[in-house]
Amino acid sequence: MSRARRYVPQDVPFELKEINLEEASDDDLLEISRESGTGLSLDEMRRIKDYFAARGRRPTDVELQSIGQAWSEHCCYKSSKVFLREYVFSITNRHVIDRGDAGVMEFDRDHAYALRIESHNHPSAVEPYGGAATGIGGILRDVLCMGARPIALVDPLFFGSLGYPSSRLPEGVKHPKYLLGGVVAGIRDYGNRVGVPTVSGGLWFDDSYVGNCLVNVGCVGIAEKKDVRRNAVKGPGDVLVLVGGRTGRDGIHGVTFASAVLTEESETESRGAVQLGDPIMKEPVMHAVLEANERKLVNGMKDLGGGGLSCVVGEIALAGGCGAEVDLSRVPLKEEGLAPWEIWISESQERMMLSVSPKNLETVLHVFKLWDVPATPVGKVVKEKRVRLFFRDVKVFDLELDFLTAGPEYCRPCEAGEALERRRRERRPKASSRYDRMLLRLLSDSNICNRDWVIRQYDHEVRANTVLKPLQGKTGCWSHGDAAVLKPVEESFRGLAIATASNPFAVNVDPYRGGKACVDEVCRNLAAVGARPHSLTDCLNFGNPEKPERLWQFREAVRGIGEVAKELNLPIPSGNVSFYNESPKGSVLPTPAILGCGLVRDVRKCATSDLKREGNPLYVVGTTSQEMGSSAYYRKTRSYSSRIPNVDIQALKAGLGIVLDGIERGSVVACHDISDGGLAVALAEMCIGGGIGADASLAGLGRMRSDTKLFSESTSRWLVEIRKGKERQLPRNRATSVTKIGHVGGSSLRLTSGKILVDVEVDAMARRFNEPLWKVVG
Amino acid sequence: MKVSDTRVCVLVIEGTNCEEESYLCFKRLGARPEKVHLKQLTGTDVTSDERRSLSDYQLLVLPGGFSAGDYVRAGAIFAARLRSRLSKDLTEFVREGKPILGICNGFQILVETGLLPAMSGTMSDVPEAVLGTNDSARFECRPTLLKNVNNGNCVFTSRIPIGKISHIPSAHAEGKLMFPVDRAKGIVKELEENDQIVFKYVDSDGRLAGYPWCPNGSTDNIAGVCNRDGNVFGMMPHPERVFFRFTHPDWTRSPDGAGDGRAVFESVLAYISKKM
Repeated sequence: MSRARRYVPQDVPFELKEINLEEASDDDLLEISRESGTGLSLDEMRRIKDYFAARGRRPTDVELQSIGQAWSEHCCYKSSKVFLREYVFSITNRHVIDRGDAGVMEFDRDHAYALRIESHNHPSAVEPYGGAATGIGGILRDVLCMGARPIALVDPLFFGSLGYPSSRLPEGVKHPKYLLGGVVAGIRDYGNRVGVPTVSGGLWFDDSYVGNCLVNVGCVGIAEKKDVRRNAVKGPGDVLVLVGGRTGRDGIHGVTFASAVLTEESETESRGAVQLGDPIMKEPVMHAVLEANERKLVNGMKDLGGGGLSCVVGEIALAGGCGAEVDLSRVPLKEEGLAPWEIWISESQERMMLSVSPKNLETVLHVFKLWDVPATPVGKVVKEKRVRLFFRDVKVFDLELDFLTAGPEYCRPCEAGEALERRRRERRPKASSRYDRMLLRLLSDSNICNRDWVIRQYDHEVRANTVLKPLQGKTGCWSHGDAAVLKPVEESFRGLAIATASNPFAVNVDPYRGGKACVDEVCRNLAAVGARPHSLTDCLNFGNPEKPERLWQFREAVRGIGEVAKELNLPIPSGNVSFYNESPKGSVLPTPAILGCGLVRDVRKCATSDLKREGNPLYVVGTTSQEMGSSAYYRKTRSYSSRIPNVDIQALKAGLGIVLDGIERGSVVACHDISDGGLAVALAEMCIGGGIGADASLAGLGRMRSDTKLFSESTSRWLVEIRKGKERQLPRNRATSVTKIGHVGGSSLRLTSGKILVDVEVDAMARRFNEPLWKVVG
Repeated sequence: MKVSDTRVCVLVIEGTNCEEESYLCFKRLGARPEKVHLKQLTGTDVTSDERRSLSDYQLLVLPGGFSAGDYVRAGAIFAARLRSRLSKDLTEFVREGKPILGICNGFQILVETGLLPAMSGTMSDVPEAVLGTNDSARFECRPTLLKNVNNGNCVFTSRIPIGKISHIPSAHAEGKLMFPVDRAKGIVKELEENDQIVFKYVDSDGRLAGYPWCPNGSTDNIAGVCNRDGNVFGMMPHPERVFFRFTHPDWTRSPDGAGDGRAVFESVLAYISKKM
């Protein structure tokens, strides 16, 4: 069938086509999918063909585009839902208030917090500054539309190594250094301008991210319970008010772009899929939305993200058991001449949809007027569960919501395949008598060294609620903290702790154990500051799910994450799956990024990681084992083991209890979780932050090689500094071990096990820890 | 005037984003702060209930943030709107001895408006100084130590002993105070003679030091200045972020006492209750 016969222009004074599906062969169907940029599969196209055949008419281009958005991987989770349902959705407790665009959890009797994390990978790989900035914009709206005020941003980022040779960069791929600079600047300029502190995150480097960097963005918000809203209309008669930015051609096909593998042509073909952010539209949008909501003028709201209007109208109406009629000609545009389908699916930024009772409409419009934010009634809610669209009085779209939103769900083939065979034989590093140089090399490793170059560009204190900051320590001697703590409610000392964790190296070797280790780490981080883990949200970044091995990695990681979360009764009320993180160079490491929230009873009791006082004793909580797989030490020495640290739930629970109890009683004055680089690196960081040394003997950790004691990344472990004389107050539990290793003091870090293993000046460690990023990107 | 009667106008436009914490500092001390949109003072798009007049307030606060995106130059757009619509109200406010506080973006706005350093009167016709891009060319969010070098002129630091070093953090991209190059030395000297210099960035030993102790490369390490009468005051660092001890960057090392920023707010409220 010729192109001319596939599309039938309509006799209207604007661009509108009907699509000739009834005569289309399978080849034509695929061609239509390709030409429309919707990325629908043959099966999906056949389903659409049957639907319209049964109704005796042809779809318009607006309808086909809309279905393409709604049925994309990004919007309907068609490859992942089956696993998420099995391992994640079932975890619940009475603290879960809602699972909408963001999850909502109970904070205290009167307050709730909202949390969500998502990816903005593909846009950031093509246009790092705009991609990252609009990622922040989108996640803010996800929290805002629950009725919550955004109070914290979180950004885990994954790039290729900064020294990657430019000559080896594949065609169309940007250098990691350029991407890092652009992404950090995008987050900085957007996050700082909207006045929401960026308090946590992470930076990982591995060459698998060269062709497809990962930019994950998380947000946490706070609300009075009475102000929490659902992403739903109240009922027929509600007016749909589109607020915020104007609609343009930026961000067309963003979701379908996100649901395909990056190619050499992504730069030229998909630049238009990246939206343009405007923080100075977003900032007043937040003011106006929150004010209208607090004054009870809004029945429900939802943000315009992936799929733009086409997704939001159907979803907000259906969630309230209704349908909607929208007049597309009323949508404020950035430029003249947009076709109805473009208006309907554009992902232009800074927009939200409010569902408002007619009696409140005028007041709502006034609130937005004061902030100079466009607010336009574009449609109304109707009883029948269908959406009808009009453009200049012509009906251009009429679909049943049950069909539009019933995206396909797949149980795609999923098997380990070569992944297990790839596991190589153990190769241990050569034992050595001293490890001073190894410790310094690890401290300056790009995956461990000080991130202050990034952190200091983000305002982490705006709103003046940040009690524990991302960098902690004596003035002038900053080191990494484990979690940030906010005090979100003026009248209360209750705190909300936020931590980020990911371990793509472990997940790559053993996705199940790696998934478990990620949850263990985020819980360790929270407990280390004195917070009880309370909820999680995860961004699961994987490769192409149509490849059975990639999907197997995904399933195993989700199984591991779900298992530990369930045992700890930690709900995951929101999250995001990002597939197709592949480029011509191959897939990224399987990367689940986890954002954890914890509750602190009294922020004035929190602990930081920096060592405090000469003479205080040091303890290790937890058991150290010979589980060196994927450890920073093994990666550095090019050794290999498939033994990824396992999580013993009972030991984790016991460890959490000991650390939390110790901090709340005031006997623990410094605490740091043991992760990348093991005990030696963790203790070095504590020394750097405190500007003081330590002397510790590792003989009591058990019988194993010295390098294992120093660098093992066994899970569920912490280093704690106890106030002198309060040692007895550190509780014990038979499910895990508590071992005294030494005390704080001196100007160097001395680690022994029978003989001296490490003896390095703190100043020397600090230099090696602080310099690397500045040298490369400063 | 009693503190409980003191009305504080915390002025905002789009992009102002430190208004809530600034507002709370005054509320905690028992004053009557109010967040006011500039349009409420100019009467644009507002109902009669929402209309406000600057003369109803005893204290004006310009909080931090990125007013109007800081797109032309930090504070320039907010300043232009103030000058075009409220010049008269502002000069009257200052001449009556009522205090104005500008923090971070607020400081930038005061300089752009000509209310600081205002060496030749209440409000200069053109800016006499500029808060330029930091030497590092980056946004810098970091703890800074400020030494009080004011000899008693500034009404915002009367409760801070001369020479005391306060822990007040900075977060800005444009905080380098500069004067016309050919006259800089003379201007600084004049500021000193007028007792207009209030805070300087120092290291932990109290000495004037370079980056990162001074985050921006400011002339003579100046972090905050006031006008000749001491009632208009601007500073780049954020006292509202350290009202309490537990938001100090290193509070877990010395958890007792008030936050170092609190004294700025106490000082000005004490001045108002004594003078008005």
